[in-house]
Amino acid sequence: MAQQPLIHYRVRWRPAGYQPGAGHGRVPGAGDQLRSVVPLRDHPDPRRLDLRTSLRDPFENIWVRDFYLNSALKVIVLVDTSASMGYVGRVHRFKVAQEITAQLALSAYRTGDAFGVFAAGEVINKKRMLPPKANRSAWLWVKQHFSKIKPEGQHAEGLFAAVPYLPQNPCLVFIISDFRWPEGRLKLLLKKLSHHDVVPVMLQDPTEVDALPRRGIASLTDAETGEKQFVWIRKSLRQKVEESRIKHIKSVNEACRILGLRPFVVKGEFDTALMTEYFLGGGNT
Amino acid sequence: MGSLHLFKPELLWLLPLCLLPLLSYGVKQFSYPGLEDWPKDKISDMLRWGVRVLAVLTLMSLVIAASGPFTEGGTVTKIGKGAEIVIVLDRSGSMDENLVKQDPTIRVKGVTRIEASRKVLLKLMDQRPGDTFGLVVFNASPIAVAPLSSDRDIARAALKSAESNSSGFTALNRALEMGLDYFKDRSYTATRLILLVSDGDTKIKPEDQAILKDMFKEYRAELMWIYVHTGYDFSLEFEEDISKDDGAVDPNVALNQLFHSLGMPYQAFEVNSEAGLQRAVAEIGRATNKPTRYEYRLPRQDYALYFYMLAMVLLGVLFWLKQIEIKAWRP
Repeated sequence: MAQQPLIHYRVRWRPAGYQPGAGHGRVPGAGDQLRSVVPLRDHPDPRRLDLRTSLRDPFENIWVRDFYLNSALKVIVLVDTSASMGYVGRVHRFKVAQEITAQLALSAYRTGDAFGVFAAGEVINKKRMLPPKANRSAWLWVKQHFSKIKPEGQHAEGLFAAVPYLPQNPCLVFIISDFRWPEGRLKLLLKKLSHHDVVPVMLQDPTEVDALPRRGIASLTDAETGEKQFVWIRKSLRQKVEESRIKHIKSVNEACRILGLRPFVVKGEFDTALMTEYFLGGGNT
Repeated sequence: MGSLHLFKPELLWLLPLCLLPLLSYGVKQFSYPGLEDWPKDKISDMLRWGVRVLAVLTLMSLVIAASGPFTEGGTVTKIGKGAEIVIVLDRSGSMDENLVKQDPTIRVKGVTRIEASRKVLLKLMDQRPGDTFGLVVFNASPIAVAPLSSDRDIARAALKSAESNSSGFTALNRALEMGLDYFKDRSYTATRLILLVSDGDTKIKPEDQAILKDMFKEYRAELMWIYVHTGYDFSLEFEEDISKDDGAVDPNVALNQLFHSLGMPYQAFEVNSEAGLQRAVAEIGRATNKPTRYEYRLPRQDYALYFYMLAMVLLGVLFWLKQIEIKAWRP
């Protein structure tokens, strides 16, 4: 894993839970955001004495400040391991997925958040799942286990089976896939995850979009179904392919938009700075 | 035109191999994450089948070409004006002597008799395209060098290769018999002519004379003698040999008289000049006004070349297709 800047993800809600972390939490505790001012007898911590409020009180009560706990977030990554994820174009698609997962794991640990991974192809891969915990070595775990995963299977329905494994309270969920799914499946999955904060990470390769060969003949093998097609690439066919790519991206965007989300597109190599930018620019909403 | 034959029909067992291109796509394969991006393209499908059919046709034409298809040429009966001429050419040692009269004290090599004869005969052949020629050469014994056929090249080549070679004896009678033997088992379709080219100097025994007489009669052949004549030899016109006191005649004059006595049409030409040749040719032309009917065997027609050419063209197209094949998935 190349050394990259950490990903500074952000959520627009306050995570529940008593695990101290970096985000603004919802429960009282040690934090940096003022929650309220309470009488000393309710919160007997004289270190938090609020002089100004105490002096202004005509009844001469002693007031102390109460803060929100800076609580930890749970970051969960769902990885599609269907056969199309094994596509090697300019980049190895699954290697990119591994890179994103590992970077997120490292960033989550450095931010003090819990991190969990679920990988699923046709069925959920129970050997390669990591329940959300604060885990220092999660990125190493990702490196070790993902290199053993061989992308196979004709669809990614196993991701639906991963939904019940997720915590009940809201988490930040990344779905890493190329979203070459049947129409409506993405929308359904997003609906099932609707109480979480979901970031669809869409993997693309330049060779399948705008770096098609200009002309010539070739035989294409579908990575998932193994179907073969003889193609004579020329201008008209290339345009049709580009159109259908645009249509696919549009349909992914549409499915996300209905749920109030915005997909993060990774074209080729993954750059953590771009993901930070994505969160700074409004995040997934 | 005959029916189609194959030179090596067992090679046709390779024909099932021609179906091999149907098993594979034959072009480089690339993995693609989802074919739903690629709409069904009719032109691509047609090209795909085109490539396969091209490959099948290429292999087929190669296999068929290798098995060597041909049709028998058959024979045609041609009718031509002319004669069946058997040239009986003397190549005895005396034919190596110079033709032109010269001073015996100056030994300058001139044109020999056999060379002159060859020239005359080749000219004759060129002037008589409709005739059928055969060739017998002889010195001590006759050799049948070219059969009686309309294939001129054999006769011409045989004639060119005839060199004189002295062996001390000239078997004229046996050469004539061999020449007459050429007519055996042939239907009488044209004037038959034995064209004796010799300088004589030999004798035919009485018993051979009878045999020759019978044969000439049986085959209805004519005889013409081109007497290659040196200036200082005796002309055939001389009745008597004045150099000899005993009244005996010159052997050539005797031979001329003998041929006259054999009963067949006979003419003698003394060739020591251009005029003699002209006369001889004109006479042969007059003698051969009867149309000749002869069988001509056509060469068999070989079709392998066409199949190889077809395979070449198809391979060219396949080569072009290979050129436009995508080798690496990049723009």
